[in-house]
Amino acid sequence: MKIKLELFGASRDFSDKDHLELNIKDKASIDDLRNEIIKYIDKNFQGNEDFIKVVKSSAFCSENNEIISDNYKITKNQNIGIIPPIGGG
Amino acid sequence: MLHTKIVDYKKDKILTSNAEKFIKDSMFGASIYFLGTVRSINDNKKVIGITYDSHDKMVIKSFEEIYNEADQKLDIKDKAVFIEHAKGHLKLGEISIIIAVACKHRGQAYVLSRYIIEEIKKRSPIWKKEHYENKESEWLKGNPIANEKV
Repeated sequence: MKIKLELFGASRDFSDKDHLELNIKDKASIDDLRNEIIKYIDKNFQGNEDFIKVVKSSAFCSENNEIISDNYKITKNQNIGIIPPIGGG
Repeated sequence: MLHTKIVDYKKDKILTSNAEKFIKDSMFGASIYFLGTVRSINDNKKVIGITYDSHDKMVIKSFEEIYNEADQKLDIKDKAVFIEHAKGHLKLGEISIIIAVACKHRGQAYVLSRYIIEEIKKRSPIWKKEHYENKESEWLKGNPIANEKV
């Protein structure tokens, strides 16, 4: 299934657009999604280590604007947001 | 009484006068205005500006949660709170955040103002990209978001 990954903060450097479209297996977990993003970085940015660090240190949020755990199952075509480490103010 | 907003600097700016109008009330005897501004040096690098990014819906939700928690955790029932955070490119000295609070007494106002900024730092999904004199720029590292997971 296809998901739209909305990009924020440091992850905006992953694309000229504000999102990525990724194909993941049905009922994929957030861990599976993280691995798909790393594959995308390997393919498009020669495994850029800084980008991979961003992915590994990020949380993810659902369409309901809630932070979701690594075990969360993505069950339908939906938008997920990647939330790199924060620092406002 | 709460006001929250993400201010897009392409179209708008954060103004202390808006905060003053919102929190001013004769029932409150103490007001505090906290302003965060863009400073010129960070980690020994000369900064010329900052681009702020935010997950607007989550940020507004976090502001509301922080305000509501103040009722329970700090036991400050009567209060006016005005929170705005910038989004987009800001130059040196421009206001990135304003937290204006008004309470009955000064002790409450100090505690509430400090509580809000510290919780925003931990829980509101906002990011900074610093721009330097040598034309380089860099997203700041930040800290993992502290929200509960579902």
